[in-house]
Amino acid sequence: MTLILTDEEQALADSVRRFVAERSPLTSLRQLISSGEPFDAGVWKQMTAQLGLAGLAIPEEYGGAGAGLSALSVALVELGAGLVASPLLGSAVLAAGTLLRLDDEDAKRELLPGIAAGELMATLALAGGRSKAVLVGDGSEPALSGTVSPVLNGTEADVLLVPADSGSGTVLYLVRAEAPGLTRTRLAAADHSRSLARIRLNATPARALAGDAAAALSAAADLANLALASESAGAMRACLDMTSGYAKIRVAFGQPIGAFQAVKHRLADMQKNWELGYAAVRDAARAGDEEPGRFSVAASVARVLLAEAYFDAVVDTVQLHGGIGFTWEHDAHLYYKNGLSNKVLFGTPGEQLDRLADSLGI
Amino acid sequence: MTEDFRARARAWLEANAPRRAAGDDDGESGAATTLAEQKAFQAKLYDAGFAGITWPTEYGGQGLTNAEQIDWSREARDYDLPNGAFFIGLSMPGNTILEVGSEAQKKRYLPAMLRGEEIWCQLFSEPGAGSDVASLQTSAVRDGDGWVLNGQKVWTSGAQYSDFGAVLARTDPAKPKHEGISMFIVDMHAPGVTVRPLKVATGHSPFNEVFFDNVRIPADGLIGEENKGWAAAVVMLRHERIAIGTMSAPRTSPLGYESLRSLAAGLGRTDDQAVRRRLAELYARSRGVQLFGLLLREEAMAGRLPGARGSVAKLAGSDLGRFAANVALDVLGDQLAGSDAEELQTVATLIVAAPGSAIAGGTSEIQRNIIGERVLGLAKDPGVDRSTPFNQLRVGTQRSDVPASSGEPR
Ligand SMILES: Cc1cc2nc3c(=O)[nH]c(=O)nc-3n(C[C@H](O)[C@H](O)[C@H](O)COP(=O)(O)OP(=O)(O)OC[C@H]3O[C@@H](n4cnc5c(N)ncnc54)[C@H](O)[C@@H]3O)c2cc1C
Repeated sequence: MTLILTDEEQALADSVRRFVAERSPLTSLRQLISSGEPFDAGVWKQMTAQLGLAGLAIPEEYGGAGAGLSALSVALVELGAGLVASPLLGSAVLAAGTLLRLDDEDAKRELLPGIAAGELMATLALAGGRSKAVLVGDGSEPALSGTVSPVLNGTEADVLLVPADSGSGTVLYLVRAEAPGLTRTRLAAADHSRSLARIRLNATPARALAGDAAAALSAAADLANLALASESAGAMRACLDMTSGYAKIRVAFGQPIGAFQAVKHRLADMQKNWELGYAAVRDAARAGDEEPGRFSVAASVARVLLAEAYFDAVVDTVQLHGGIGFTWEHDAHLYYKNGLSNKVLFGTPGEQLDRLADSLGI
Repeated sequence: MTEDFRARARAWLEANAPRRAAGDDDGESGAATTLAEQKAFQAKLYDAGFAGITWPTEYGGQGLTNAEQIDWSREARDYDLPNGAFFIGLSMPGNTILEVGSEAQKKRYLPAMLRGEEIWCQLFSEPGAGSDVASLQTSAVRDGDGWVLNGQKVWTSGAQYSDFGAVLARTDPAKPKHEGISMFIVDMHAPGVTVRPLKVATGHSPFNEVFFDNVRIPADGLIGEENKGWAAAVVMLRHERIAIGTMSAPRTSPLGYESLRSLAAGLGRTDDQAVRRRLAELYARSRGVQLFGLLLREEAMAGRLPGARGSVAKLAGSDLGRFAANVALDVLGDQLAGSDAEELQTVATLIVAAPGSAIAGGTSEIQRNIIGERVLGLAKDPGVDRSTPFNQLRVGTQRSDVPASSGEPR
């Protein structure tokens, strides 16, 4: 196992980075803010049809490329750096990853090829909040009731995987967007690059998915950790580049501000924290492909390190830009909001540490 | 092929290396026996083909690659190898001689280090020159084809048992401070060398002050070129940061995650959510530091040298030490204020020792300057003097109302 990128991974990183620069610069996120669209459908189409990003971690037998989690992580780092709004995380990472760990062959054959092609949008209605879905129908005609929030791409998804209490443990159910009794409300998301929704189920017909739901959900939590850590690593790198770039050109008291140690040392700490976080992301990504027994802990480590480090970095990014960094026109707030959202989605740092402590057997 | 090497390393370590160090290398607790044991162990390591893994075979090394070095480090992590006395010599003067020394120096000194015959120290810091080591005042004056060395060094780790030292001295005080320095090999047993132990906060004496009183340095004692010693010093400092930064603490370290976790469990503290979280975070941060060290090595193997990013590793390592100390305090609580359990006393001692790693090998502030300037490309600190002749500068704790340094030792 090696942490550094292979030539293919480097080529993938380069092509995603070019794509982001050309097709989804930060100005397009600003366009989404004014249009209210959750993401740019044209960009999504290119990401999937042209770059094949949605199929990276889906095996070939289900229509994906079977490139694995390391390749996926490499792509997410670049997408994260550009704050690219897309259903990739909700659909191709979490929903697909959950399905893959279930034993429901029919559902896999039906859904995964569409997800891999970017034509079908799925999501996993997994939220850390208190509200949960419960089974209300009987065994032959299951139906769900309850509220789940916030759900990634909940309004746009064609199908939702909903964990619910079946009375004898958690089961994963498949709910279709057109099912009766399903209400989806778009939420005011702190981070403009994420589309979040509240899902209300009112005796909504659902199909139980075969397999070990608890194991699949735990795998999904690991994937969420890897994905959020990867995106955060990319975004943090962007903050570091942006802020150290500014520290070289902004002059105060006759010096570039980067000459002042109060500025220089914060950037040095940011660099240090980024290096550790990035190394942990590489380790988790590789473990996911090559040492699955280590994946859960490795992904937790990466997430724990980056949740803190990235949020610290966005705070410093605003601070070290001074007044301009606090304006709407400057990009700092876009990262700031992404940093706060990434810190709490799918588990706050405290919950992450509890989970890691459990995995380590403390 | 490296699989083979790794298996060999594992088997050898299992058969020959203790899981925990037999003694410490502070030079106080039975230094003589400890030192003899260390020399014997280093010799055994050499005979088994695990010393100088990446050094060329003509200088006693194994001529292998960073891949084997990585394998070795991974395997060795489970052990506390009793050869700490050689750490400085091999990673600092050794690597510097390998990079900038003469052919004769490489042949004379490198194999002897590897075989455990000769121990080295690094004589850079002085009372008036630590972070700003280029302000050093120890002088070396030409005398025939050699030099005569006078002055004082301080905080010299391992000087009490060293055979040789790499010393920085001023050879031209009329030049700006970085331009009048040379690096020499000094025989620590030569007449005129006096070593006096200094005690650190823990009560141990790992370092010393060293006085030079008309010590003769022969012509072949110059490392690199005369008045180009700063370049050689930069090489050594780079190796120092990388060596310290990528030196993964052994798994058994009493201030490490595993030890603190089992101590916490023994005290019945691991049911407390706050304690569990602190321990988990320590695990995560330790892994981050460890993985970054690994990444640097892999990059080096692929031809991308760490350069100034060694400072990131060094800074990260000392920050981790500081964090671990805080976790230990939170987790073990008032047992660390006083206990008759030996393990807890060891942890308390290591907490007292923790600040040292943020000072030794260049302080954390200096590492942050290096990262800012050489990794991120930020502007240099204002006021760093690179042009005034050294003998017109004020250094260390000299008062401004006395004449500037003459370049002569005190
Ligand atoms: C355990 C230990 C072992 C050591 N072993 C050796 C050895 O074997 N050989 C050897 O030569 N030396 C050795 N040293 C010395 C060590 O390298 C110096 O102590 C260190 O470089 C700091 O120098 P100083 O003590 O003179 O502190 P100073 O340089 O006086 O620093 C005092 C404070 O000022 C800060 N400071 C100084 N300059 C700046 C700046 N430009 N920007 C921001 N802050 C600054 C420092 O960070 C520090 O906090 C050892 C030290 C320790 C603690």
